[in-house]
Amino acid sequence: METFRSIVELMAVFVLPAIIVGFPLYGLYKKVPVYEEFVEGAKEGFKVAVQIIPYLVAILFAIGMFRASGAMEFLVEGLRPVLSLVNIPPEVIPMGIIRPLTGSGSAGVVVDLINTYGEDSLIVKIAATMFGSTETTFYVIAVYFGAINVQKTRHAVPAGLIADFTAMVLAVYVVQLLFG
Amino acid sequence: MLNYIWAGLIVFSLVFALATDTREIAQDRYRNDAALPVELHFPDGYAADARRQSVEVRIRPEVYQAFYDTDATPERAYDGTLVQTQDGRQVRFDAGASLPEPMATIREVTAGSDGELRAVLQDFVPNGRTVAASVAFEPVRFVKMTAITQAAFDFADTAVNIIIGLIGALALWLGLLRIAEKSGLVGIIVRLVRPVLRPLFPGVPKDHPALGVIALNLSANMLGLGNAATPLGIKAMEELHKLNESEDTATDDMVMLLAMNTASVQLVPPVLLVAIMGLQINELIFSIIIVTGCSLLVAITAAKLLSKMRRYRATDPNRKTAVRLEENNPSDAADVDDPDAPPSNT
Repeated sequence: METFRSIVELMAVFVLPAIIVGFPLYGLYKKVPVYEEFVEGAKEGFKVAVQIIPYLVAILFAIGMFRASGAMEFLVEGLRPVLSLVNIPPEVIPMGIIRPLTGSGSAGVVVDLINTYGEDSLIVKIAATMFGSTETTFYVIAVYFGAINVQKTRHAVPAGLIADFTAMVLAVYVVQLLFG
Repeated sequence: MLNYIWAGLIVFSLVFALATDTREIAQDRYRNDAALPVELHFPDGYAADARRQSVEVRIRPEVYQAFYDTDATPERAYDGTLVQTQDGRQVRFDAGASLPEPMATIREVTAGSDGELRAVLQDFVPNGRTVAASVAFEPVRFVKMTAITQAAFDFADTAVNIIIGLIGALALWLGLLRIAEKSGLVGIIVRLVRPVLRPLFPGVPKDHPALGVIALNLSANMLGLGNAATPLGIKAMEELHKLNESEDTATDDMVMLLAMNTASVQLVPPVLLVAIMGLQINELIFSIIIVTGCSLLVAITAAKLLSKMRRYRATDPNRKTAVRLEENNPSDAADVDDPDAPPSNT
């Protein structure tokens, strides 16, 4: 696994410089006025970013209120008996709830679990796999659809949440299978 | 659906905060009108005319637990300052003292910018180095209500800061992609990935640059390159939006891109996780790849199946073209004018 990781990481290190240098180089070869075109494209950056602001404010402040209200702990308590029935350790529930909402919040959950149970514990492995396997879906929705000013997201939320939910549940069982 | 989740988050926060605060008032959790018995110890002796002098506040655990009806145990002594004015005496607990609940919350809510918990000193009769007295804190009410209001403003701020942090990377990538488009590089990528991506994004014409940007976005995601994946995803959305017949409604292809992004295979774990886990992450790469592989398949299936559902089909902005293609299927066409169709913004 370590060799695999170092190979992929080597790729990850070189792919960005290759693109950043390669794109303009290829442009030069194709006689594109690279500097002018770059600036022309980059101009859009600010406009698009500003366009995202209202969407992200809308999503994040609602999530912030939800976290501050303490409702999360309440939900976790409510789900505890149900989930322990299907062999899901209740300690990882906060991760499942918080992950689609905020990235920094769920990183905090992993840190908490490491401090409580230690890095080698099964619970930390499950939580970390959950973290690594899913995205902050609501943030991605706000940013991606905000950039093009689309408010009616249709089935984006259910599709994203189904994916997240599958990854969460799978993470529990795969880690238990591999390390349990 | 986003409408309901969004409103649900806000309303639920309010209801929950209100319920918590009401319960705390009913239980008198913060003992707002009572004074906590403590012992004051003056290391250098009590100076009657000193405006400020250091003091050690000793709280007996059993008294504390009975007073607040809690299991939390205070430390043996807290360093603080005794401030004497004409209006009375005040004890200030040094900032950074590790206070037990609920004193920690009282400090959080009532302390000024210096972070010192203040209390009015009562029943104080100077008599030697160690004196029994009691301290009354400022009344604390509606902790959660204040907290959610504060959080709303804090996170609105956070959102803007995140976006400002994104501007640079976004400009860089949009610039590079513009060069790639003009030089025909995107076209080459399109031809490479077309066999794989075309079935997933049937609304994209054969030679459209959208497929190329989508491929770049998904690869960046796989390699855990967060600062490249987001700008590329935004650009891919823009390309897909050019094919959108409506202004404000997502197409099936956009939802597919989003679903694939939230569930993308991670060959390299996210930077944040590596930072937290250190070397332990090596063990987890395999499990993350298995999990994300499966969830990617589920995401693709979910996006495809959901787009076939009646309520989402009826709101497809590119559906009119689709209807023209499927004219020989009258039962489908009827959906468009269905008066019972749910509002398109779910």
